[in-house]
Amino acid sequence: MKHESVAITITSGKGGVGKSTTVASVGLGLAQLGKKVCLVDTDIGLRKLDLMLGLENRIVYDLVDVIEGTGKLRQALVRHKEYPDLALLPAAQTRYKEEVTPAQIKQVVDELRNEFDYILIDSPAGIEGGFRNAIAAADRAILVVNPEIPSVRDSDRVIGLLEAADLKQIDLIVNRVQPGMVRDGDMLSVERVQNHLAINLLGIVPEDKRIIRSSNTGEPVILDQKSLAGKAFSNIARRINGEEVPFLELEESGLISRIKRLFHIASALN
Amino acid sequence: MAFLNMFSRDKDQPTAPTADDRLSLVLSYQRSEIDEAKLKQFRIRLIELCDDFGFDVVGQVEVRPQSRGGDRTTVLCASIPVRVKQKN
Repeated sequence: MKHESVAITITSGKGGVGKSTTVASVGLGLAQLGKKVCLVDTDIGLRKLDLMLGLENRIVYDLVDVIEGTGKLRQALVRHKEYPDLALLPAAQTRYKEEVTPAQIKQVVDELRNEFDYILIDSPAGIEGGFRNAIAAADRAILVVNPEIPSVRDSDRVIGLLEAADLKQIDLIVNRVQPGMVRDGDMLSVERVQNHLAINLLGIVPEDKRIIRSSNTGEPVILDQKSLAGKAFSNIARRINGEEVPFLELEESGLISRIKRLFHIASALN
Repeated sequence: MAFLNMFSRDKDQPTAPTADDRLSLVLSYQRSEIDEAKLKQFRIRLIELCDDFGFDVVGQVEVRPQSRGGDRTTVLCASIPVRVKQKN
């Protein structure tokens, strides 16, 4: 009997919105829920998911090796140190996106379906060939968007391409939200972003300096229990897994918050 | 004075509606691939149409694309100041 699994492409219109951060943390979140998860880095030539997970020193074979047959799939999978149910299929660093076709990616992902519950595909930014590779094998897509006009505009184009590729389920994660800026009118609200893009809201992740630290230490922010962004990613993983989880309250409440607002003191989120 | 400004800053007009309007416009143009030349032609045709129906256009015709939330479509909003033609 074939293993029931879901392949999800995590994508965006422009670079730098936090896709790889999202893939690493959500992947770990699903592994923490007891699921078998494989993260596939399709950003050939610019891999960074290995860095996010602190696995950069363990890579022997990569996605292109598997496709070309110079390495077997099980040899290329790198297991996480603390969560062995989480595996990474790294991208090649010294090759080009054009060397891989959507059909080849689909073949690899279909093979992964036998072993894993969730396959999260980290897509390259933009809408070129690498993007088509990343969506070829996906059952659904998650769009990571920052609440800024360029990010929303590019995401709008990506939604059109995903729909044209017949991907029925497209969910939205609004990343790097700064409640203070939204309140002051300097940042688009999550509600407005969702309203414009008209897709299902899966998660809201606040801006969090801890994410920079986590990228540099190779420990995804979801492992940092003090981080509100980590909590948000944990909730997203639970929602993907079918749980109903309310959205986090990003704003501080009470007298202290009102005093901070009055004096424009930066929110504790920052 | 700077101290007093700290208290008055919250009274500034919020810019969020402006950013939202701008995003709406950006998305409208992108979705419908509207360029200025096309809009200009559209305005000319509207003026001709008004003439056919017995209206004189007495001011600037404005056609503004607006992004509609919910179904990712564009709405063209036309503002045409007219007067009914005088019968001779």
